[in-house]
Amino acid sequence: MKVSYRWLKESVATDLSPKAVADRLTNAGIEVAAAAPLVSGLSGVVVGEVEAIDKHGVCRVATADRHFTVVCGAPNVAVGVRAAFAPPGAALPGGQQVQTTRKRGVLSEGMLCSEKELGIGDDADGILLLAADAPLGSDLVTSLGLDDWILEVEVTPNRPDCLSVVGVAREIAALTGAPFRFPAIAVKEGDADIVALAAVEVEDPDLCPRYAARLITGLTVAPSPPWLAQRLRAVGLRPINNLVDVTNYVLWELGHPLHAFDSDTLAQRKVIVRRARPGERLTTLDGQERELAESMLLITDPERAIALAGVMGGANTEVTAETTSVLLESAYFNPASIRRTSKRLGLATEAAYRFERGADIEGLREALDRAAQLMADLGGGTVAKGVLDVYPSPRPHPRIPLRLERIQRVIGICPPREEVVRILQGLGFAVDEAKEPPDIVVPSFRRDVSMEDDLAEEVIRVWGYERIPSTLPGGSLALVRRPAALRRAARVTQALAAAGLSEVITYGFVDPERLRLLGWDPASPELMTLRNPLSQERSILRPSLVPGLLEVVATNRHRQIPDVRCFEVGRVFRSGGPDGLAREEARVGIALTGLRASRAWYAGRDTVDLHDAKGAAEHVLASLGVEEYGVRASASSFLEAGRSGELVVGGEAVGWFGELALGPQEGYDLAGPVFLAELSLDRLGALPPRRVRYRALPRFPAVQRDVAFVMPQALAVEEVESEIRQRGGALLKSVTLFDVYAGKGVESGMRSVAWSLTFQADDRTLTDEEVNALHAAIIEAVTKRFGIAVRGMTPEGG
Amino acid sequence: MADKRASEILKGARGEAARAKSSADLEQVRVKYLGRQGILTQFLRSLSSIPVAERPEVGREANLAKAEIETLLGERLAELKAAERRHALESQRVDLTLPGRRPSPGTLHPLTLVQDEIIEIFLGLGFAVAEGPEVESDFYNFEALNIPRDHPARDMQDTFYLSEDVLLRTHTSPMQIRIMKAMRPPLRYIFPGRVYRRDIADASHSPVFHQVEGLAVDRNISMGDLKGTLELFAREMFGPRTTTRFRPSFFPFTEPSAEVDVRCFLCGGEGCRVCKQSGWLEILGSGMVHPQVLRNVGYDPEEVTGWAFGMGVERIAMLKYGIDDIRLFFENDLRFLTQFA
Repeated sequence: MKVSYRWLKESVATDLSPKAVADRLTNAGIEVAAAAPLVSGLSGVVVGEVEAIDKHGVCRVATADRHFTVVCGAPNVAVGVRAAFAPPGAALPGGQQVQTTRKRGVLSEGMLCSEKELGIGDDADGILLLAADAPLGSDLVTSLGLDDWILEVEVTPNRPDCLSVVGVAREIAALTGAPFRFPAIAVKEGDADIVALAAVEVEDPDLCPRYAARLITGLTVAPSPPWLAQRLRAVGLRPINNLVDVTNYVLWELGHPLHAFDSDTLAQRKVIVRRARPGERLTTLDGQERELAESMLLITDPERAIALAGVMGGANTEVTAETTSVLLESAYFNPASIRRTSKRLGLATEAAYRFERGADIEGLREALDRAAQLMADLGGGTVAKGVLDVYPSPRPHPRIPLRLERIQRVIGICPPREEVVRILQGLGFAVDEAKEPPDIVVPSFRRDVSMEDDLAEEVIRVWGYERIPSTLPGGSLALVRRPAALRRAARVTQALAAAGLSEVITYGFVDPERLRLLGWDPASPELMTLRNPLSQERSILRPSLVPGLLEVVATNRHRQIPDVRCFEVGRVFRSGGPDGLAREEARVGIALTGLRASRAWYAGRDTVDLHDAKGAAEHVLASLGVEEYGVRASASSFLEAGRSGELVVGGEAVGWFGELALGPQEGYDLAGPVFLAELSLDRLGALPPRRVRYRALPRFPAVQRDVAFVMPQALAVEEVESEIRQRGGALLKSVTLFDVYAGKGVESGMRSVAWSLTFQADDRTLTDEEVNALHAAIIEAVTKRFGIAVRGMTPEGG
Repeated sequence: MADKRASEILKGARGEAARAKSSADLEQVRVKYLGRQGILTQFLRSLSSIPVAERPEVGREANLAKAEIETLLGERLAELKAAERRHALESQRVDLTLPGRRPSPGTLHPLTLVQDEIIEIFLGLGFAVAEGPEVESDFYNFEALNIPRDHPARDMQDTFYLSEDVLLRTHTSPMQIRIMKAMRPPLRYIFPGRVYRRDIADASHSPVFHQVEGLAVDRNISMGDLKGTLELFAREMFGPRTTTRFRPSFFPFTEPSAEVDVRCFLCGGEGCRVCKQSGWLEILGSGMVHPQVLRNVGYDPEEVTGWAFGMGVERIAMLKYGIDDIRLFFENDLRFLTQFA
């Protein structure tokens, strides 16, 4: 909310500069986001009078003691007008220095300026005309009252009282000790009694605990006087006419929303406050016809709805240029009800904003009187005698005992008692010191204060948070470390980063079309769909990390980064969790595409393949201590058939790896194949923990033998290897597959696979004869079982 | 007359060793003199044929010559090897400016780096760590935290809903409730995690971001302890000369509440674009746990007090690294990600 410094000073006599006031407020919790002069960059502009104009539009302009020749083509320039004049040397907003220039062959000494050129309004159609009695030669900024500062106040939802000049002024007074003055309000009432002229009935006091109204008659609608128009403009409001402007003025000054009905349009001049009826409709001031729900509170007359209570008036009873009498409403509406109505209709207004935060149920009378008198003054009307005020159950003021020990305990320090009393009184609280501890009486405009700790905050924020001592909590020692799930995630993250992959973090919202592309049914009840997504493309909670990783690959590809090796650790979501929440599962996802290693003079030009994805998955398993796992072929909706496998530990699938199918690859517009893997960190975490046990180092030498078999492509190496291990028995210490070859010299459909076998005994040195016999036995077993041949045997070492 | 043969052999060997041009040449010299059929070996073998009286003298000289030849061959070999090594290195000159063969590790995301640092600091202060669900109930996310339906405070956090009562948590604060319900004081916890707000992404807003929440509840714990703890955190995170400011604010689940600002690093408090001319940068929100929240979890606010704080990891990372657009964290452009390792 914008607050004018000059306006503030009418209610608080402070000597502090606008900046100092802003700082003080901010430090007390009323955040001032910006404090800036109302006009900036404007200097040297004065009040001038146009004394003469020749037929070429050359004017003679007089200031207090000089005459200037000025070329001006504005439509509203005329002899005798006083206007904003910028002589040579004056500065205009935007850094423009006014100079003597040649225009239409004449030396023009300065310029007559429009509102827009002066940076004080939007009107660029003519020069800014001033009052006929504006003192010649006087500074324009001062004479228009534009030497002001505007504070941009950001009020937290608990402090609706500070959505007003008076509320902010009260804070400043309490913070600085400067005297606070509430505006003097007195109503000159006419003879006619309102009771005879109008009536108010509240049918639903639960939603409208108080409704007050005054009647002002004999009004003439006209533009507001300059002081009022200027004041509204300064805080960003557009002046409309004297009656409407008064309600806005009082809204800004006292913070209470008012509504003016043209009372001649009210049936029987009677207002009834009630809930909407089924099917009822109302065209609001903005011209929209609105369908109303039965929960919404309306202002009506005996025949129809005339306003959406606390939100917006109706077009049918609007103040117009012909209005002569006004029924002025000042009411208190139930905050939650106003909020529901405003949200439901998507109608956010200044009035609703304040009512939903809580208006001042007592202050509404002052606002009513203030506005009624101003309308009568500015519109030449009369305020009828009396007020229609329906307030069946006056709200009591809460009384809260305040213990200074409580302040001390919660805050760690407490100001002296007289200071506490002074602060609270300055904020408008009454202090009953007859009680021990003293009772604090909460004023009606502070609905946010309802308990002792609220008062503690009031005291300490005014006294100064900077005075709170900085201490550290004591207490007993407790063992703290990261929980297992976080340690697991950290270990995997570190391992993959060390292995050359980049960690990514994605939004986690998925596009149903992309899911369909990947073979999911976006309508599956397993998926969790947002009711109010920002867009369709981000409407489903990810069931897998894959869609996000593919987006990363695609983003980088479009930015000419074709080689991506990345991973993400995060949660995926399925419906059906505890208490109606999600089944959340921590996973790690991996995506690899392009070159295996960054380009360098020593690096190969190999691109990644399926085995890189499998290797990365194995690396994850190893980082969590899982060495024993199996692979089984798996079918997946988004991986190439025959190029994907499931990783199985202890009979349970813990993840998968594979090559992205061509469909999604093209759908994501990816240049080349992408290899993926995903593992469940939660499932891996549920495995029995690995116990690391030391194994004695071998004491006898090892013997190594290599063997290569020419085998069909279709025969899995794992089958052959397990046969080798089985036949090799305890003396075969390790089996390493070190070469796979297909091509020249090997029959088509076949490949040569070579293993290196290491033989070793724990209790003796093996003889060549023993090793040769065992090696031969292994070869025989394998060749017989699979019907394959040995390609070559190269005895080595020994 | 003395037998001169030993000294002649020695002389010959010395000359040939000196003339050897390579270690291979020298090996031939060694074989010629000291090999099985070598000159000196044969001379030693022939000693039995010379007169007994001369034998000790000649034998001594022969053995001396052998030792000397071995020594000079060894020295010459070292010389030749050094020369050969030198020659080899010279002929295979290395360009020292050629880039080194570097291992190519990947990178950790800047948010991970910053979140780890935050966790590390609070672990050091004795805070335990816990995580909670990202899909939360309205009760834990709002109601139990004193944010009823139809309350304007809900405007502070625009929310993604999955159903009437299920939502994506808008802050990590629901973990305050979950932990307080599950445990008894004293408690000292931090809760890192992802949170979601229904904000359209721009330079300073993101529908997804990360928070670290803190909570301490004990018999006698005050706002002074909160202030001291967070000042210590700020100095650890941003450097020992960091100035902090506690400023009153409003959160429905704390009373009193405070925002914590640090003096703008960029302008030192003079006011600049980054701090929006204020001289201060907001880093987190905090406050004393609201007595009603304590009652909601079955604690007696007369018996225990507590405080809580919550900070945005992105915010801290942006300040720490000078990042001016929050969207960069989620775009995952590799040229961005590789800047922080």
